[in-house]
Amino acid sequence: MDPQSPGQPETPFGSTPAFHTAFAELYPRLVSYARRYGATYPEDIAQEAFVILMQREERVEHPTAFLYGTVRTLALTERRPMKNQNLSLEVVLEPGHAGSAAFEQVLNQEVRERMKLLSPTFREALWLFVVEGLAIKEISEILSIPEATVKTRIHRAKAQLREQLNPPSAGGVHVLV
Amino acid sequence: MSWSDPDRRFEPAEDVALRSELRELLGLSEAPAMPEPTPELRNLAEDLRREAERRRRTYPFRRRPSWQLMAAAVLPFVLGLGGAGAWGLAQKHRADELSQAVAQKDADMQRVASEAAASQAELARERATREQVQQQLVLANAKLGQKPSYLVVPVPKPLGPESTETLRVKAGH
Repeated sequence: MDPQSPGQPETPFGSTPAFHTAFAELYPRLVSYARRYGATYPEDIAQEAFVILMQREERVEHPTAFLYGTVRTLALTERRPMKNQNLSLEVVLEPGHAGSAAFEQVLNQEVRERMKLLSPTFREALWLFVVEGLAIKEISEILSIPEATVKTRIHRAKAQLREQLNPPSAGGVHVLV
Repeated sequence: MSWSDPDRRFEPAEDVALRSELRELLGLSEAPAMPEPTPELRNLAEDLRREAERRRRTYPFRRRPSWQLMAAAVLPFVLGLGGAGAWGLAQKHRADELSQAVAQKDADMQRVASEAAASQAELARERATREQVQQQLVLANAKLGQKPSYLVVPVPKPLGPESTETLRVKAGH
């Protein structure tokens, strides 16, 4: 019995080559995302997320957001006995923990320092928006918050970044406005 | 971007501009080019797809609409309420019937009592009339100074020893 209806694509990402390309792009990101939550086995969590996505019979509207949301849930569930679900980037912000060489290349020391100074709530939305490259709607699905809240958090993160670059004690000299 | 996500393909220009602005603020370098799927990654992707297929066949996701769960949760209460309601209605019907019977009996008893009272009143009236007639008769006799006359009715002689008994009957007017 073929569970796929004739009109549906082969995979949630379309054809098989498109799925392979998306997998190659997303898998390392999801592994690093799971590691960021302190998961002990981030690779297993990322793979499980892909299996859960493809196991679903009904169409998933935003497969990328679904994968990130599943990884987040699985990683948090793994951490639950520790009663520490505080969202944090400290793990991945340490050099050598970004998950892949590409992330190591992107996250230089300066970026890490700037990210560290942001409040964890804003850092979460900023990370997903800028580093992961997700859309506002996808982030709202992953974090289970309204899109307006995501935008607000991103704009507040932006304001905090500007304050870092242009502190009030700088004597009125504005570098970036 | 190759991911088949509509929000990704049709992202508003202001969001794209905001992202590039934030990248500049953070000092992020340009995102690395998308990696080509290596044979290892391709094999892993296919393995995961096969695992998903196997699970789908083995443990199919059951569609459990929330209304079914709600119905299952509410059903005992509905049945209990329905049963209690039916029992209450039956009890009310029975109570109505009993109260109707009691009212009917009350009405019957009142009717009988009123009939008895009417009969007693009639009897008393007749007795009073008879007394009045008797008194009038006594008064009339006294006025005439006559003893009340008696009618002597001869009794046939019995076969046994001869009797001198006679039956005295009060004479009528």
